Amino acid sequence: MASQGAYLKRNLGFLLTIGALVVLPFALAWINGQSIPSLLANEAGDAKFMQGLLIEIFILAVFAISYDLVLGVTGLLSFGHGMFFAFGAYLTGVLLKSFGWPLWQVALGVVVLGVLQALLFSIVLPRVKGITFALVTLGIASVFDILVKSQELNPFTGSDVGLQGVPRPAGLSPVDDRLRFYYLALLFAVIVYLVYKRFVDSPTGRVCIATRENESRALSIGFNTFYFKLVALIVASITAALAGMLHTLYKPIVSPEIAGLGFTVQGLLMLLIGGIGTLSGAMIGAAVLRLMEFYFARWFGESAGFVIGVVYVSIVLFLPYGIVGTWQLKRLEFRQGRERLLAYFSNARKNPKTGEQR
Amino acid sequence: MTNILEVRSIQTYIGQFHILEGVDAQVPAGGIVALLGRNGAGKTTTLKSILGLTPPRSGQVIFDGVEIQGLRPFEIAALGIGFVPEHRAIFRDLSVYENLKIAQRKKGDLERKSAFIFELFPDLQRLIKLPGTHLSGGQQQMLAVARALVPDNRLLLIDEPSEGLAPVIIEAMMEAIRRLSATTTVVLVEQNFIVASQLAQRYVIIEEGRSVQSGAMADLVQDKATIQRYLGAA
Repeated sequence: MASQGAYLKRNLGFLLTIGALVVLPFALAWINGQSIPSLLANEAGDAKFMQGLLIEIFILAVFAISYDLVLGVTGLLSFGHGMFFAFGAYLTGVLLKSFGWPLWQVALGVVVLGVLQALLFSIVLPRVKGITFALVTLGIASVFDILVKSQELNPFTGSDVGLQGVPRPAGLSPVDDRLRFYYLALLFAVIVYLVYKRFVDSPTGRVCIATRENESRALSIGFNTFYFKLVALIVASITAALAGMLHTLYKPIVSPEIAGLGFTVQGLLMLLIGGIGTLSGAMIGAAVLRLMEFYFARWFGESAGFVIGVVYVSIVLFLPYGIVGTWQLKRLEFRQGRERLLAYFSNARKNPKTGEQR
Repeated sequence: MTNILEVRSIQTYIGQFHILEGVDAQVPAGGIVALLGRNGAGKTTTLKSILGLTPPRSGQVIFDGVEIQGLRPFEIAALGIGFVPEHRAIFRDLSVYENLKIAQRKKGDLERKSAFIFELFPDLQRLIKLPGTHLSGGQQQMLAVARALVPDNRLLLIDEPSEGLAPVIIEAMMEAIRRLSATTTVVLVEQNFIVASQLAQRYVIIEEGRSVQSGAMADLVQDKATIQRYLGAA
Protein backbone atom coordinates (compact mmCIF):
# COMPACT_ATOMS: atom_id res chain seq x y z
CA MET A 1 0.00 0.00 0.00
CA ALA A 2 2.81 2.38 0.92
CA SER A 3 4.57 1.77 -2.39
CA GLN A 4 1.29 2.27 -4.26
CA GLY A 5 0.81 5.58 -2.45
CA ALA A 6 4.34 6.65 -3.31
CA TYR A 7 3.79 5.67 -6.97
CA LEU A 8 0.56 7.68 -7.09
CA LYS A 9 2.22 10.69 -5.47
CA ARG A 10 5.21 10.53 -7.82
CA ASN A 11 3.08 10.20 -10.96
CA LEU A 12 0.08 12.24 -9.92
CA GLY A 13 0.65 14.94 -12.55
CA PHE A 14 1.04 12.36 -15.32
CA LEU A 15 -2.06 10.37 -14.28
CA LEU A 16 -4.17 13.52 -13.96
CA THR A 17 -3.05 14.67 -17.41
CA ILE A 18 -3.97 11.32 -18.96
CA GLY A 19 -7.33 11.36 -17.17
CA ALA A 20 -8.02 14.90 -18.38
CA LEU A 21 -7.11 14.02 -21.98
CA VAL A 22 -9.39 10.96 -21.88
CA VAL A 23 -12.43 13.00 -20.84
CA LEU A 24 -11.48 16.11 -22.83
CA PRO A 25 -13.52 15.27 -26.00
CA PHE A 26 -16.62 14.83 -23.85
CA ALA A 27 -15.90 18.01 -21.88
CA LEU A 28 -15.42 19.96 -25.11
CA ALA A 29 -18.68 18.57 -26.49
CA TRP A 30 -20.51 19.56 -23.30
CA ILE A 31 -19.01 23.09 -23.42
CA ASN A 32 -20.11 23.46 -27.04
CA GLY A 33 -23.60 22.22 -26.27
CA GLN A 34 -23.17 19.01 -28.22
CA SER A 35 -24.84 15.86 -26.91
CA ILE A 36 -22.85 12.71 -26.14
CA PRO A 37 -24.71 10.60 -28.77
CA SER A 38 -23.95 13.16 -31.48
CA LEU A 39 -20.29 13.19 -30.38
CA LEU A 40 -20.16 9.40 -30.59
CA ALA A 41 -21.92 9.58 -33.98
CA ASN A 42 -18.99 11.69 -35.25
CA GLU A 43 -21.16 14.71 -36.05
CA ALA A 44 -19.34 17.86 -37.19
CA GLY A 45 -18.85 20.70 -34.76
CA ASP A 46 -16.31 22.59 -32.67
CA ALA A 47 -15.71 19.52 -30.50
CA LYS A 48 -14.73 17.42 -33.51
CA PHE A 49 -12.50 20.21 -34.77
CA MET A 50 -10.74 20.42 -31.40
CA GLN A 51 -10.20 16.67 -31.43
CA GLY A 52 -8.36 17.15 -34.72
CA LEU A 53 -6.16 19.87 -33.23
CA LEU A 54 -5.33 17.60 -30.28
CA ILE A 55 -4.48 14.70 -32.62
CA GLU A 56 -1.99 17.01 -34.36
CA ILE A 57 -0.53 17.90 -30.95
CA PHE A 58 -0.11 14.23 -29.97
CA ILE A 59 1.71 13.50 -33.23
CA LEU A 60 3.95 16.56 -32.85
CA ALA A 61 4.57 15.63 -29.20
CA VAL A 62 5.90 12.22 -30.26
CA PHE A 63 8.12 13.87 -32.86
CA ALA A 64 9.38 16.35 -30.23
CA ILE A 65 10.14 13.67 -27.61
CA SER A 66 12.08 11.65 -30.19
CA TYR A 67 14.16 14.75 -30.97
CA ASP A 68 14.67 15.26 -27.24
CA LEU A 69 16.16 11.77 -26.92
CA VAL A 70 18.72 12.55 -29.62
CA LEU A 71 19.50 16.16 -28.72
CA GLY A 72 18.50 16.68 -25.09
CA VAL A 73 19.36 13.29 -23.59
CA THR A 74 22.25 12.03 -25.76
CA GLY A 75 23.61 15.42 -26.86
CA LEU A 76 23.69 14.71 -30.60
CA LEU A 77 23.17 18.01 -32.37
CA SER A 78 21.19 16.78 -35.37
CA PHE A 79 19.65 19.15 -37.89
CA GLY A 80 18.22 16.27 -39.88
CA HIS A 81 15.70 14.94 -37.41
CA GLY A 82 12.74 16.15 -39.47
CA MET A 83 13.80 13.64 -42.14
CA PHE A 84 13.05 10.73 -39.77
CA PHE A 85 9.45 11.97 -39.48
CA ALA A 86 9.08 12.92 -43.14
CA PHE A 87 10.47 9.64 -44.44
CA GLY A 88 7.98 7.72 -42.27
CA ALA A 89 5.15 9.92 -43.56
CA TYR A 90 6.12 9.56 -47.23
CA LEU A 91 6.80 5.84 -47.00
CA THR A 92 3.37 5.28 -45.47
CA GLY A 93 1.70 7.31 -48.21
CA VAL A 94 3.60 5.64 -51.04
CA LEU A 95 3.10 2.10 -49.73
CA LEU A 96 -0.62 2.65 -49.15
CA LYS A 97 -1.32 4.56 -52.35
CA SER A 98 1.09 3.20 -54.95
CA PHE A 99 1.60 -0.35 -53.71
CA GLY A 100 -1.59 -1.03 -51.76
CA TRP A 101 0.17 -2.66 -48.83
CA PRO A 102 -1.94 -3.60 -45.79
CA LEU A 103 -1.44 -1.39 -42.74
CA TRP A 104 0.51 -3.90 -40.64
CA GLN A 105 3.05 -4.36 -43.44
CA VAL A 106 3.32 -0.60 -43.80
CA ALA A 107 4.00 -0.30 -40.04
CA LEU A 108 6.68 -2.98 -40.30
CA GLY A 109 8.22 -1.18 -43.27
CA VAL A 110 8.28 2.10 -41.32
CA VAL A 111 10.06 0.42 -38.38
CA VAL A 112 12.68 -1.09 -40.73
CA LEU A 113 13.06 2.31 -42.36
CA GLY A 114 13.59 3.85 -38.92
CA VAL A 115 16.49 1.50 -38.25
CA LEU A 116 18.03 2.17 -41.69
CA GLN A 117 17.81 5.95 -41.24
CA ALA A 118 19.61 5.72 -37.90
CA LEU A 119 22.29 3.51 -39.46
CA LEU A 120 22.71 6.09 -42.23
CA PHE A 121 23.36 8.81 -39.64
CA SER A 122 25.61 6.50 -37.65
CA ILE A 123 28.07 6.16 -40.55
CA VAL A 124 29.45 9.59 -39.64
CA LEU A 125 28.91 9.22 -35.89
CA PRO A 126 32.43 8.08 -34.93
CA ARG A 127 34.09 10.71 -37.13
CA VAL A 128 32.27 13.97 -36.52
CA LYS A 129 30.84 15.72 -33.49
CA GLY A 130 28.99 18.90 -32.52
CA ILE A 131 28.34 21.41 -35.26
CA THR A 132 30.01 19.18 -37.89
CA PHE A 133 27.55 16.38 -37.10
CA ALA A 134 24.74 18.94 -37.33
CA LEU A 135 25.89 20.03 -40.79
CA VAL A 136 26.32 16.47 -42.06
CA THR A 137 22.83 15.47 -40.85
CA LEU A 138 21.45 18.65 -42.40
CA GLY A 139 23.14 17.66 -45.65
CA ILE A 140 21.59 14.17 -45.62
CA ALA A 141 18.15 15.62 -44.82
CA SER A 142 18.54 18.19 -47.59
CA VAL A 143 19.23 15.42 -50.12
CA PHE A 144 15.99 13.76 -48.99
CA ASP A 145 14.17 17.10 -49.28
CA ILE A 146 15.45 17.52 -52.86
CA LEU A 147 14.49 13.94 -53.73
CA VAL A 148 10.86 14.20 -52.57
CA LYS A 149 10.46 17.47 -54.49
CA SER A 150 12.11 16.13 -57.66
CA GLN A 151 10.09 15.64 -60.82
CA GLU A 152 11.52 12.14 -61.29
CA LEU A 153 9.74 10.98 -58.13
CA ASN A 154 6.61 12.98 -58.87
CA PRO A 155 4.43 9.89 -59.50
CA PHE A 156 5.21 8.70 -55.96
CA THR A 157 5.81 11.82 -53.86
CA GLY A 158 3.84 14.46 -55.76
CA SER A 159 6.96 16.70 -55.71
CA ASP A 160 6.17 20.33 -54.76
CA VAL A 161 2.42 19.73 -54.41
CA GLY A 162 2.86 16.85 -52.02
CA LEU A 163 1.49 13.34 -51.84
CA GLN A 164 -2.29 13.53 -52.12
CA GLY A 165 -5.18 11.11 -51.90
CA VAL A 166 -3.61 8.54 -49.61
CA PRO A 167 -6.25 5.82 -49.02
CA ARG A 168 -7.15 5.39 -45.39
CA PRO A 169 -7.31 1.86 -44.01
CA ALA A 170 -10.78 0.68 -43.01
CA GLY A 171 -11.70 1.47 -39.40
CA LEU A 172 -8.99 4.06 -39.05
CA SER A 173 -10.41 7.11 -40.73
CA PRO A 174 -10.20 10.38 -38.79
CA VAL A 175 -13.05 11.70 -40.96
CA ASP A 176 -15.48 8.85 -40.32
CA ASP A 177 -14.50 8.18 -36.70
CA ARG A 178 -12.37 10.96 -35.31
CA LEU A 179 -12.92 10.00 -31.68
CA ARG A 180 -11.37 6.58 -32.31
CA PHE A 181 -8.41 8.20 -34.04
CA TYR A 182 -8.11 10.64 -31.13
CA TYR A 183 -7.77 7.81 -28.61
CA LEU A 184 -5.38 5.93 -30.88
CA ALA A 185 -3.11 9.00 -31.13
CA LEU A 186 -3.37 9.59 -27.38
CA LEU A 187 -2.49 5.95 -26.66
CA PHE A 188 0.47 6.17 -29.03
CA ALA A 189 1.78 9.32 -27.31
CA VAL A 190 1.34 7.83 -23.81
CA ILE A 191 3.10 4.57 -24.75
CA VAL A 192 5.99 6.47 -26.36
CA TYR A 193 6.35 8.67 -23.26
CA LEU A 194 6.38 5.67 -20.90
CA VAL A 195 8.88 3.76 -23.05
CA TYR A 196 11.14 6.82 -23.27
CA LYS A 197 10.93 7.44 -19.52
CA ARG A 198 11.90 3.82 -18.91
CA PHE A 199 14.73 4.10 -21.42
CA VAL A 200 16.19 7.27 -19.90
CA ASP A 201 15.96 5.86 -16.37
CA SER A 202 17.65 2.62 -17.46
CA PRO A 203 21.44 2.12 -17.24
CA THR A 204 21.62 2.64 -21.03
CA GLY A 205 19.81 5.97 -20.70
CA ARG A 206 22.13 7.06 -17.89
CA VAL A 207 25.15 6.36 -20.13
CA CYS A 208 23.48 8.44 -22.88
CA ILE A 209 23.23 11.33 -20.40
CA ALA A 210 26.85 10.80 -19.34
CA THR A 211 27.89 10.84 -23.01
CA ARG A 212 26.06 14.12 -23.52
CA GLU A 213 27.75 15.68 -20.49
CA ASN A 214 31.28 14.56 -21.28
CA GLU A 215 32.07 11.83 -23.78
CA SER A 216 35.72 11.53 -22.73
CA ARG A 217 34.66 10.80 -19.16
CA ALA A 218 32.21 8.15 -20.32
CA LEU A 219 34.93 6.58 -22.49
CA SER A 220 37.42 6.61 -19.64
CA ILE A 221 34.94 4.80 -17.40
CA GLY A 222 34.85 2.05 -20.01
CA PHE A 223 31.81 2.71 -22.21
CA ASN A 224 31.95 2.45 -25.99
CA THR A 225 29.83 5.55 -26.43
CA PHE A 226 29.26 4.88 -30.15
CA TYR A 227 26.84 2.05 -29.39
CA PHE A 228 24.88 4.12 -26.90
CA LYS A 229 24.52 6.96 -29.38
CA LEU A 230 23.48 4.47 -32.04
CA VAL A 231 20.80 2.96 -29.76
CA ALA A 232 19.41 6.43 -29.02
CA LEU A 233 19.37 7.26 -32.75
CA ILE A 234 17.59 4.00 -33.64
CA VAL A 235 14.93 4.44 -30.93
CA ALA A 236 14.35 8.09 -31.90
CA SER A 237 14.31 7.36 -35.62
CA ILE A 238 11.75 4.54 -35.30
CA THR A 239 9.55 6.71 -33.07
CA ALA A 240 9.71 9.74 -35.37
CA ALA A 241 8.99 7.56 -38.42
CA LEU A 242 5.95 6.04 -36.67
CA ALA A 243 4.79 9.56 -35.79
CA GLY A 244 5.16 10.40 -39.49
CA MET A 245 3.07 7.35 -40.35
CA LEU A 246 0.29 8.52 -38.03
CA HIS A 247 0.56 11.99 -39.58
CA THR A 248 -0.13 10.52 -43.03
CA LEU A 249 -3.04 8.45 -41.73
CA TYR A 250 -4.54 11.59 -40.18
CA LYS A 251 -3.92 14.14 -42.93
CA PRO A 252 -5.26 13.73 -46.43
CA ILE A 253 -1.91 14.82 -47.92
CA VAL A 254 1.81 14.66 -47.12
CA SER A 255 3.19 18.14 -47.64
CA PRO A 256 6.86 18.51 -48.67
CA GLU A 257 7.14 21.16 -45.93
CA ILE A 258 7.79 18.42 -43.37
CA ALA A 259 10.91 17.35 -45.26
CA GLY A 260 12.55 20.79 -44.96
CA LEU A 261 14.81 22.28 -42.32
CA GLY A 262 11.87 24.34 -41.03
CA PHE A 263 10.22 21.27 -39.52
CA THR A 264 13.38 20.32 -37.61
CA VAL A 265 13.64 23.92 -36.37
CA GLN A 266 10.03 23.67 -35.24
CA GLY A 267 11.01 20.58 -33.20
CA LEU A 268 13.91 22.53 -31.72
CA LEU A 269 11.53 25.32 -30.68
CA MET A 270 9.27 22.77 -28.99
CA LEU A 271 12.25 21.58 -26.94
CA LEU A 272 13.30 25.13 -26.07
CA ILE A 273 9.79 25.98 -24.91
CA GLY A 274 9.27 22.80 -22.87
CA GLY A 275 12.80 22.22 -21.62
CA ILE A 276 15.60 20.30 -23.36
CA GLY A 277 16.34 16.85 -21.93
CA THR A 278 13.20 16.64 -19.82
CA LEU A 279 11.03 14.41 -22.11
CA SER A 280 7.74 15.69 -20.73
CA GLY A 281 8.92 19.20 -21.61
CA ALA A 282 9.22 18.20 -25.26
CA MET A 283 5.58 17.10 -25.30
CA ILE A 284 4.40 20.21 -23.44
CA GLY A 285 6.47 22.35 -25.82
CA ALA A 286 4.73 20.71 -28.79
CA ALA A 287 1.32 21.48 -27.29
CA VAL A 288 2.22 25.08 -26.46
CA LEU A 289 3.68 25.72 -29.91
CA ARG A 290 0.74 24.24 -31.83
CA LEU A 291 -1.86 25.98 -29.65
CA MET A 292 0.01 29.27 -29.98
CA GLU A 293 0.13 28.94 -33.76
CA PHE A 294 -3.57 28.18 -33.91
CA TYR A 295 -4.93 30.76 -31.46
CA PHE A 296 -2.51 33.56 -32.32
CA ALA A 297 -3.41 33.18 -36.00
CA ARG A 298 -7.07 33.46 -34.99
CA TRP A 299 -6.57 36.45 -32.66
CA PHE A 300 -3.79 38.43 -34.37
CA GLY A 301 -4.14 37.42 -38.02
CA GLU A 302 -1.06 38.34 -40.01
CA SER A 303 0.72 39.65 -36.90
CA ALA A 304 0.68 36.18 -35.33
CA GLY A 305 4.26 35.44 -36.38
CA PHE A 306 5.50 38.56 -34.61
CA VAL A 307 3.59 37.73 -31.40
CA ILE A 308 4.92 34.15 -31.42
CA GLY A 309 8.44 35.60 -31.81
CA VAL A 310 7.87 37.81 -28.75
CA VAL A 311 6.71 34.78 -26.77
CA TYR A 312 9.84 32.79 -27.80
CA VAL A 313 12.14 35.61 -26.69
CA SER A 314 10.22 35.93 -23.40
CA ILE A 315 10.53 32.20 -22.73
CA VAL A 316 14.27 32.24 -23.41
CA LEU A 317 14.67 35.28 -21.12
CA PHE A 318 12.42 34.27 -18.23
CA LEU A 319 12.40 30.46 -18.50
CA PRO A 320 15.93 29.69 -19.70
CA TYR A 321 15.52 25.97 -19.03
CA GLY A 322 12.06 25.82 -20.62
CA ILE A 323 8.79 25.31 -18.79
CA VAL A 324 9.53 21.90 -17.28
CA GLY A 325 13.27 22.45 -16.83
CA THR A 326 12.72 25.68 -14.87
CA TRP A 327 9.95 24.06 -12.81
CA GLN A 328 12.22 21.12 -11.89
CA LEU A 329 15.04 23.47 -10.90
CA LYS A 330 12.83 25.69 -8.73
CA ARG A 331 11.26 22.65 -7.05
CA LEU A 332 14.69 21.28 -6.15
CA GLU A 333 15.83 24.65 -4.81
CA PHE A 334 12.64 24.90 -2.75
CA ARG A 335 13.19 21.42 -1.27
CA GLN A 336 16.79 22.16 -0.42
CA GLY A 337 15.83 25.47 1.19
CA ARG A 338 13.16 23.72 3.26
CA GLU A 339 15.63 21.05 4.40
CA ARG A 340 18.17 23.72 5.41
CA LEU A 341 15.49 25.59 7.38
CA LEU A 342 14.32 22.40 9.10
CA ALA A 343 17.92 21.52 9.98
CA TYR A 344 18.46 25.04 11.34
CA PHE A 345 15.38 24.98 13.58
CA SER A 346 16.10 21.41 14.64
CA ASN A 347 19.60 22.47 15.79
CA ALA A 348 18.21 25.61 17.44
CA ARG A 349 15.91 23.48 19.60
CA LYS A 350 18.83 21.43 20.90
CA ASN A 351 20.41 22.19 24.26
CA PRO A 352 23.95 23.37 23.37
CA LYS A 353 25.41 21.65 26.45
CA THR A 354 23.74 18.24 26.28
CA GLY A 355 22.82 18.12 22.61
CA GLU A 356 19.31 16.95 23.54
CA GLN A 357 16.05 18.48 22.28
CA ARG A 358 14.69 21.21 24.54
CA MET B 1 59.65 -5.10 -7.88
CA THR B 2 57.55 -5.67 -11.03
CA ASN B 3 56.17 -2.68 -12.87
CA ILE B 4 52.42 -2.62 -13.39
CA LEU B 5 52.82 0.22 -15.88
CA GLU B 6 55.68 1.22 -18.14
CA VAL B 7 55.67 4.23 -20.40
CA ARG B 8 58.43 4.18 -23.00
CA SER B 9 59.34 7.27 -25.03
CA ILE B 10 55.80 8.27 -25.91
CA GLN B 11 55.28 11.12 -28.38
CA THR B 12 51.85 12.71 -28.36
CA TYR B 13 50.35 15.41 -30.56
CA ILE B 14 47.20 17.40 -29.94
CA GLY B 15 46.19 18.66 -33.36
CA GLN B 16 49.43 20.05 -34.83
CA PHE B 17 51.03 20.65 -31.46
CA HIS B 18 53.74 18.27 -30.32
CA ILE B 19 52.95 18.00 -26.61
CA LEU B 20 54.89 14.95 -25.40
CA GLU B 21 58.36 14.64 -26.94
CA GLY B 22 59.53 11.55 -25.09
CA VAL B 23 58.09 10.59 -21.73
CA ASP B 24 59.33 7.53 -19.86
CA ALA B 25 57.94 6.28 -16.57
CA GLN B 26 58.02 3.10 -14.56
CA VAL B 27 55.24 2.49 -12.08
CA PRO B 28 55.86 -0.37 -9.65
CA ALA B 29 52.84 -2.35 -8.47
CA GLY B 30 51.57 -0.95 -5.18
CA GLY B 31 52.03 2.53 -3.77
CA ILE B 32 51.88 5.96 -5.38
CA VAL B 33 53.97 7.52 -8.15
CA ALA B 34 53.72 11.28 -8.59
CA LEU B 35 54.07 13.00 -11.95
CA LEU B 36 55.56 16.40 -11.17
CA GLY B 37 56.25 19.44 -13.29
CA ARG B 38 55.23 23.01 -13.97
CA ASN B 39 51.95 24.05 -15.55
CA GLY B 40 51.82 22.96 -19.18
CA ALA B 41 54.72 20.52 -18.81
CA GLY B 42 52.62 17.63 -20.15
CA LYS B 43 51.54 15.79 -16.98
CA THR B 44 47.80 15.63 -17.83
CA THR B 45 48.57 14.72 -21.45
CA THR B 46 50.72 11.86 -20.17
CA LEU B 47 47.74 10.49 -18.19
CA LYS B 48 45.44 10.94 -21.20
CA SER B 49 47.98 9.22 -23.45
CA ILE B 50 48.14 6.24 -21.10
CA LEU B 51 44.35 6.03 -21.22
CA GLY B 52 44.14 6.54 -25.00
CA LEU B 53 42.19 9.79 -24.82
CA THR B 54 45.08 11.51 -26.63
CA PRO B 55 46.72 8.45 -28.19
CA PRO B 56 50.51 8.62 -28.59
CA ARG B 57 51.85 8.57 -32.14
CA SER B 58 54.90 6.58 -31.12
CA GLY B 59 56.38 4.90 -28.07
CA GLN B 60 54.92 2.18 -25.90
CA VAL B 61 52.52 2.00 -22.98
CA ILE B 62 52.72 -1.37 -21.28
CA PHE B 63 50.16 -2.29 -18.64
CA ASP B 64 50.71 -5.52 -16.79
CA GLY B 65 52.93 -6.83 -19.56
CA VAL B 66 50.51 -5.95 -22.39
CA GLU B 67 51.00 -3.14 -24.91
CA ILE B 68 47.96 -0.89 -24.76
CA GLN B 69 48.94 2.18 -26.77
CA GLY B 70 46.80 1.24 -29.79
CA LEU B 71 43.66 0.41 -27.84
CA ARG B 72 40.61 2.65 -27.51
CA PRO B 73 39.91 4.37 -24.17
CA PHE B 74 37.02 2.11 -23.17
CA GLU B 75 39.11 -0.98 -23.94
CA ILE B 76 41.97 0.35 -21.82
CA ALA B 77 39.59 1.20 -18.96
CA ALA B 78 38.16 -2.32 -19.12
CA LEU B 79 41.64 -3.73 -18.43
CA GLY B 80 41.41 -2.20 -14.95
CA ILE B 81 42.66 1.36 -15.26
CA GLY B 82 40.58 4.02 -13.52
CA PHE B 83 40.84 7.73 -14.25
CA VAL B 84 39.95 10.69 -12.05
CA PRO B 85 40.19 13.72 -14.35
CA GLU B 86 40.95 17.23 -13.15
CA HIS B 87 38.25 19.86 -12.55
CA ARG B 88 36.01 17.55 -10.46
CA ALA B 89 34.87 15.60 -13.44
CA ILE B 90 31.54 14.18 -12.37
CA PHE B 91 28.33 13.86 -14.35
CA ARG B 92 26.46 16.85 -13.03
CA ASP B 93 23.01 15.88 -14.27
CA LEU B 94 23.18 12.49 -12.56
CA SER B 95 22.66 12.01 -8.83
CA VAL B 96 25.48 10.92 -6.52
CA TYR B 97 24.08 7.37 -6.60
CA GLU B 98 23.82 7.34 -10.40
CA ASN B 99 27.38 8.69 -10.70
CA LEU B 100 28.59 5.74 -8.66
CA LYS B 101 26.28 3.20 -10.26
CA ILE B 102 27.33 4.12 -13.80
CA ALA B 103 30.94 3.27 -12.97
CA GLN B 104 30.10 -0.40 -12.33
CA ARG B 105 31.92 -2.76 -14.64
CA LYS B 106 30.23 -5.85 -13.21
CA LYS B 107 26.84 -6.15 -11.59
CA GLY B 108 27.14 -5.76 -7.82
CA ASP B 109 30.38 -3.72 -7.92
CA LEU B 110 28.78 -0.81 -6.10
CA GLU B 111 27.19 -3.00 -3.42
CA ARG B 112 30.54 -4.65 -2.70
CA LYS B 113 32.46 -1.37 -2.55
CA SER B 114 29.90 0.94 -0.96
CA ALA B 115 31.02 0.32 2.64
CA PHE B 116 34.63 1.20 1.77
CA ILE B 117 33.60 4.22 -0.32
CA PHE B 118 31.29 5.65 2.34
CA GLU B 119 33.91 5.04 5.02
CA LEU B 120 36.37 7.11 2.97
CA PHE B 121 33.81 9.77 2.06
CA PRO B 122 30.95 9.77 4.61
CA ASP B 123 29.47 12.95 3.08
CA LEU B 124 28.54 11.09 -0.08
CA GLN B 125 26.19 8.74 1.77
CA ARG B 126 24.26 11.71 3.12
CA LEU B 127 24.07 13.33 -0.33
CA ILE B 128 23.30 10.12 -2.23
CA LYS B 129 20.10 11.38 -3.90
CA LEU B 130 21.29 14.88 -4.80
CA PRO B 131 22.22 15.73 -8.39
CA GLY B 132 25.92 16.32 -8.92
CA THR B 133 25.35 19.94 -9.84
CA HIS B 134 24.23 20.67 -6.25
CA LEU B 135 27.46 19.41 -4.61
CA SER B 136 30.23 21.69 -3.37
CA GLY B 137 33.65 21.58 -5.07
CA GLY B 138 35.08 19.29 -2.40
CA GLN B 139 32.12 16.94 -2.53
CA GLN B 140 32.39 16.77 -6.32
CA GLN B 141 36.06 15.85 -6.05
CA MET B 142 35.24 13.16 -3.50
CA LEU B 143 32.60 11.78 -5.84
CA ALA B 144 35.04 11.79 -8.77
CA VAL B 145 37.53 9.71 -6.75
CA ALA B 146 34.77 7.48 -5.33
CA ARG B 147 33.53 6.73 -8.84
CA ALA B 148 36.93 5.37 -9.80
CA LEU B 149 36.82 3.07 -6.77
CA VAL B 150 33.60 1.31 -7.78
CA PRO B 151 35.06 -1.18 -10.31
CA ASP B 152 38.03 -3.42 -9.53
CA ASN B 153 40.74 -1.15 -10.93
CA ARG B 154 44.33 -2.21 -10.56
CA LEU B 155 45.68 1.20 -11.48
CA LEU B 156 44.25 4.64 -10.74
CA LEU B 157 45.30 7.76 -12.64
CA ILE B 158 44.40 10.79 -10.52
CA ASP B 159 44.79 14.28 -11.96
CA GLU B 160 45.18 17.27 -9.62
CA PRO B 161 42.96 16.06 -6.76
CA SER B 162 43.75 19.04 -4.53
CA GLU B 163 43.14 21.72 -7.17
CA GLY B 164 40.99 24.56 -5.82
CA LEU B 165 40.03 22.78 -2.59
CA ALA B 166 40.02 24.14 0.97
CA PRO B 167 42.89 22.88 3.19
CA VAL B 168 40.57 20.76 5.32
CA ILE B 169 39.19 19.02 2.23
CA ILE B 170 42.71 18.50 0.87
CA GLU B 171 43.58 16.72 4.14
CA ALA B 172 40.58 14.40 3.76
CA MET B 173 41.41 13.75 0.11
CA MET B 174 45.04 12.93 0.95
CA GLU B 175 43.95 10.50 3.61
CA ALA B 176 41.55 8.83 1.18
CA ILE B 177 44.24 8.48 -1.53
CA ARG B 178 46.70 7.12 1.03
CA ARG B 179 44.20 4.49 2.15
CA LEU B 180 43.10 3.42 -1.31
CA SER B 181 46.75 3.09 -2.39
CA ALA B 182 47.01 0.15 0.00
CA THR B 183 44.96 -1.89 -2.49
CA THR B 184 45.42 -0.05 -5.81
CA THR B 185 48.47 1.40 -7.53
CA VAL B 186 48.11 5.16 -8.03
CA VAL B 187 49.67 7.55 -10.54
CA LEU B 188 49.12 11.02 -9.20
CA VAL B 189 49.47 14.30 -11.04
CA GLU B 190 49.81 17.00 -8.42
CA GLN B 191 50.88 20.61 -8.72
CA ASN B 192 51.12 21.02 -4.96
CA PHE B 193 54.54 19.57 -4.14
CA ILE B 194 53.86 19.36 -0.41
CA VAL B 195 50.82 17.16 -1.05
CA ALA B 196 52.66 15.03 -3.62
CA SER B 197 55.72 14.54 -1.42
CA GLN B 198 53.62 13.40 1.53
CA LEU B 199 51.71 10.86 -0.54
CA ALA B 200 54.05 9.39 -3.17
CA GLN B 201 56.92 6.97 -2.73
CA ARG B 202 58.31 7.63 -6.21
CA TYR B 203 58.25 10.51 -8.68
CA VAL B 204 58.75 11.38 -12.35
CA ILE B 205 59.50 14.99 -13.30
CA ILE B 206 58.20 16.15 -16.69
CA GLU B 207 59.58 19.29 -18.27
CA GLU B 208 58.43 20.65 -21.63
CA GLY B 209 57.00 17.30 -22.73
CA ARG B 210 59.99 15.18 -21.65
CA SER B 211 60.61 13.14 -18.56
CA VAL B 212 63.82 14.55 -17.11
CA GLN B 213 64.25 12.83 -13.77
CA SER B 214 62.74 10.06 -11.69
CA GLY B 215 63.48 8.22 -8.48
CA ALA B 216 62.49 7.87 -4.85
CA MET B 217 60.47 10.74 -3.37
CA ALA B 218 62.54 10.62 -0.17
CA ASP B 219 65.63 11.57 -2.22
CA LEU B 220 63.85 14.36 -4.08
CA VAL B 221 62.67 15.97 -0.86
CA GLN B 222 66.33 16.41 0.14
CA ASP B 223 67.31 17.75 -3.28
CA LYS B 224 66.34 21.41 -3.00
CA ALA B 225 68.17 22.40 -6.19
CA THR B 226 66.12 20.00 -8.35
CA ILE B 227 62.90 21.07 -6.70
CA GLN B 228 63.76 24.72 -7.34
CA ARG B 229 64.86 24.06 -10.91
CA TYR B 230 61.92 22.00 -12.14
CA LEU B 231 59.07 22.76 -9.79
CA GLY B 232 59.79 26.32 -8.71
CA ALA B 233 59.33 25.38 -5.05
CA ALA B 234 61.93 25.06 -2.32
